[in-house]
Amino acid sequence: MLKIWSMKQQQQQAENAEGAAGKKKKKVTAAQLRVQRDLQELTLGSTMKMSFPNPDDILNFTLTIEPDEGMYKGGAFHFNFTVNQNFPHDPPKVKCTQKIYHPNIDLEGNVCLNILREDWKPVLNLNAVIVGMQFLFLEPNASDPLNKEAADDLRQNREAFKRNVRTSMGGGSVRGIQYERVMR
Amino acid sequence: MAEAFPSALVGPSSKERKYDRQLRLWAASGQQALEESRVLLVNSDEPWGKHNTGVSGVVGVETLKNLVLPGVGGFTIVDPAVVTEPDLGVNFFLEEESLGKSRAEETCRLLRELNPDVDGSFYTKSISELLKDPEFLPQHKLVLVSGPVKRPSLEAICKAAKEFGIPVIYTRSVGFYSTFSLQLPAAFPIVETHPNPESTQDLRLLNPWPELAAAGASIRNLDSLDDHQHGHVPYILLLLHHLEQWKEAHDGQVPSNYKEKSEFRELVRSSARTSNPEGGEENYDEAVAAVLKTLNPFSLRSSLREIFEMEECKHPAPDSANFWIIAAAIREYYQRHSVLPLPGSLPDMKAQSADYVSLQNIYKSKARKDIEEVTQIVRSLEAQLGPRPAPASDKDIEVFCKNAAHIKVIHGRDIPIVDGEATTLKAIRNNIDIPDSLVPTFLAFQALDDIITDIQAGKISEEALDDEKVWGSAIDHILGAFQPEGASTIEDGDARERILQAAQELRRTQGGELHNISSLTGGLVAQEALKVITRQYVPLDNTCIFDGVRSRSEMYKL
Amino acid sequence: MVATTSPQRWKHLYSVLTKSGPFSDEDWVPGPETISALESSKILVIGAGGLGCEILKNLALSGFKDIHVIDMDTIDISNLNRQFLFRQSDIGKPKAEVAAAFVERRVKGVKITPYVGKIQDKDEDYYMQFKIIVCGLDSIEARRWINSTLIGMVDFEDPESLKPLIDGGTEGFKGQARVILPTLSSCIECQLDMHAPRPAVPLCTIATIPRQPQHCIEWAHQIAWQEQRKDDVFDSDDMEHIGWVYNAALERAKQFNIAGVTFQMTQGVVKNIIPAIASTNAVIAAATTSEALKIATSCNPYLENYMMYAGEEGVYTYTFEAEKKPDCPVCGNLARKLTVNPNMTLEEFIETLGERPEAQLKKPSMRTEEKTLYQRFPPQLEEQTRANLKLKLKDLIEDGQEIAVSDPAYIIDFRFRLAFQ
Repeated sequence: MLKIWSMKQQQQQAENAEGAAGKKKKKVTAAQLRVQRDLQELTLGSTMKMSFPNPDDILNFTLTIEPDEGMYKGGAFHFNFTVNQNFPHDPPKVKCTQKIYHPNIDLEGNVCLNILREDWKPVLNLNAVIVGMQFLFLEPNASDPLNKEAADDLRQNREAFKRNVRTSMGGGSVRGIQYERVMR
Repeated sequence: MAEAFPSALVGPSSKERKYDRQLRLWAASGQQALEESRVLLVNSDEPWGKHNTGVSGVVGVETLKNLVLPGVGGFTIVDPAVVTEPDLGVNFFLEEESLGKSRAEETCRLLRELNPDVDGSFYTKSISELLKDPEFLPQHKLVLVSGPVKRPSLEAICKAAKEFGIPVIYTRSVGFYSTFSLQLPAAFPIVETHPNPESTQDLRLLNPWPELAAAGASIRNLDSLDDHQHGHVPYILLLLHHLEQWKEAHDGQVPSNYKEKSEFRELVRSSARTSNPEGGEENYDEAVAAVLKTLNPFSLRSSLREIFEMEECKHPAPDSANFWIIAAAIREYYQRHSVLPLPGSLPDMKAQSADYVSLQNIYKSKARKDIEEVTQIVRSLEAQLGPRPAPASDKDIEVFCKNAAHIKVIHGRDIPIVDGEATTLKAIRNNIDIPDSLVPTFLAFQALDDIITDIQAGKISEEALDDEKVWGSAIDHILGAFQPEGASTIEDGDARERILQAAQELRRTQGGELHNISSLTGGLVAQEALKVITRQYVPLDNTCIFDGVRSRSEMYKL
Repeated sequence: MVATTSPQRWKHLYSVLTKSGPFSDEDWVPGPETISALESSKILVIGAGGLGCEILKNLALSGFKDIHVIDMDTIDISNLNRQFLFRQSDIGKPKAEVAAAFVERRVKGVKITPYVGKIQDKDEDYYMQFKIIVCGLDSIEARRWINSTLIGMVDFEDPESLKPLIDGGTEGFKGQARVILPTLSSCIECQLDMHAPRPAVPLCTIATIPRQPQHCIEWAHQIAWQEQRKDDVFDSDDMEHIGWVYNAALERAKQFNIAGVTFQMTQGVVKNIIPAIASTNAVIAAATTSEALKIATSCNPYLENYMMYAGEEGVYTYTFEAEKKPDCPVCGNLARKLTVNPNMTLEEFIETLGERPEAQLKKPSMRTEEKTLYQRFPPQLEEQTRANLKLKLKDLIEDGQEIAVSDPAYIIDFRFRLAFQ
């Protein structure tokens, strides 16, 4: 142990760091620190809002997307973000809180976005996720759906799909499934 | 297809639950081989002089722990020693009450507690006594010898085991160093080598069989597919399709060198549709990424080529093991088709479920056809060779065909000793001067073996274990073995210095074991024992040296 | 505390502690002092599973007399193929307690104190009592937690606050052992990219175009369960739950003509089971405890700093020095002490950060572990934390508390420990 100590003392001089009182107080975790940074670096634009039920807990928040163009224009879509302490090793968990008609979001609110799962890397940040989410409303993707019926509609008849989107957003039902009203 | 899915819940048995974490490595077949094996541990030979009980045998006991837990069939401990105070400081499978009792009996009792499925027995006689009974050794599938033991004992065990084709592992653990060597039969074949799954892929894109070629041709109308279909054509078919295109433009030749493959890759890349929201297609991305990896003509690995050249493979004899009969059949298959039987597995890829499954079926049915052909060859070979104890099972033939590209045959060597085989001397000479070589440590262990041999022969006393002069002359004796081959290579001071240094570390405990190093070594040895017993994965060939000072190890073929 | 046993018992161990070797440090003084330093070293073992059982045995037989062990788990039947301190009759009991009692019974004179619970239950005072911490865990998250805790504990005025962390991990025939000297050498966080994330399958493949039996199992586990058994919290240890997922997966596989769903595979996928065997655990556990003995006694040099082992093909090890990352979010930015006036408002404090030459932070956001002090963006959070600007520091934080500060002008973040004047 002697060697380690003397090594450490040399280091101490080099770093000129200082000790402090209050040993017992908890440190900001690596996940918190990363989220603090990621939040600061967000570019939200006018179509996105965030809300923090508990402002002291930045690991849990809601994102609202209000598309101003495309088929989902006029809606307000809410997503719960849950970031765990293993972030950014693990991706954030994202769930839609409403029942909506969308090829890439299922009725339970699961979202199919590659960077939320198979393509997540720790170098990606929350902004990348949010940009990806926004894109889903501008360009719903029929080729790899979570809601197969919605995807089939989009693929086979774009106009009918658009009508279904409007119906569902108004709280109507499509193919016998009642959707939640999501108009702003 | 439907009957393949039982509807009732068939949960695992309690044995499957207990062994779940290891069955995921060596499967039921490996487990069965393990459960049918009995291991012999020769955990000491004789005391080292009047006051030293000799080998503590911790590596041996720790190795058995790691074999009893996963459910080895049984073990036999041969150990004439009586438990002494120092044993309790290094051996976890002894307790206060064991003092003064037979070490074989006590370690056997406490090891058996670990797993009620395992049978354990012990002998307090010496191994030379037991070897007189010709029935004794053949009960075992593997022999572990805890060293250092005197040379004549080691030689007797190794010779007897060799006669029965039983593998031997000879271990020594002293202070911060350990070493062990594995003696395998002259030819030790392994079918399930568990190579990296990526290296086992054989997709045959350059020489597709008719059914696969037909599947490739079925997407001629690629351009007329809608975006969704286009984005889900399995990349295997995309490559086959574009290869046909390429061949038409290149006199029927496939892309063969790096430049052509790169060009071909661009051809594939440029065929992807990019006018979609994602700006590309995943299946095309996969196809592009696979070009360099998969568009290679079939070539036989050199290890397999060597096996095909072996006499027993070319002309299996009536008493040849089934391995050689199947290997000969595979060889015959290769001579007919210039490829090996298709393994039949298909990597996952972007595709619609039904398209993937039907492509998978094309690979699977070709693999089945190949197995049938190999089976026919095996049966006709068996018929030619006359009555055999048991014909090769269908299962064995199937497993062999799936693993054919990666089978291995290890040419077993004797436990290395310096004044033994010329090949050992040569290997030592070639490796001793490499920076950070652990061969000097191995030679220090050789010196220790010689010293123990002399102590047990009564030539010197046990004080010799920490005697500078004795060690110096033992090392000189070893270096002397290299003399006739040319003094310059090994006589230089540096090698001697490094052997002396290693010897100094060995002298620190006067031949005694440290629990950590012995436990670590017991883990390594058990790992090799499992590989030898299950005939899965690839065992050591043939010597490992662990340096606990620097926390590193090396393997040498000595 | 130290039971009287014959010195003969520890003959081999004592001989390396009373005699220098060719590689031991020149300044090292072997002898009784070294032995008593070892025997009085309090050591903590995190995890009493496959590695932990071995580690406890090895430490007890390496002369450590005061060993503590933490584990929150209970014994399961699938542990018995390697966790050799447990028997069939122990199933359901806490691992830490059974393991501690067994080793205490077997090795005379050693005291082993178990704690059944999470490592996060304990504070710095607890970790401060140990000389060395040995980790045998299967969770990356727990490793990261203890790593950052130990780094945060380093007080450069107190050498005792440096707690060497020795970490082991295994998977099948492979494993690794590493030595971390918090703040001095490469830490778990620096080496995070060596843990490959578990490969994931796109959710849409699972939902609409399954091709592999695993896709059917994932569907049953992640989608069908949510739809059909919303009110039951899925428990991977509940055989009924696994059975349900298995049957749902079988049904789906049948629908898509996919072969190969088995109960064993179902368990493997939903529990993310990593193959584990006694022998690999023995190798890695002993590698860690050998380092513990060397660090506690200096009898030989310790590992600098990483040894990997792979046993599928012969015996392969690779020992190397993993590098410390200057921009490591945990050990790359240690907390600096700032002396502040407790009556200063947060706004004033932020202004001083912009002026202080060592900081020069113009647009900082900052927080403590439990409180968001001020976050500039997004606007909603800025609004929610704006009121804090007018509050005095003493009303927001405690003396000596750590704050973390991010500023878009810098790629790294800062930590400060605020000491009140």
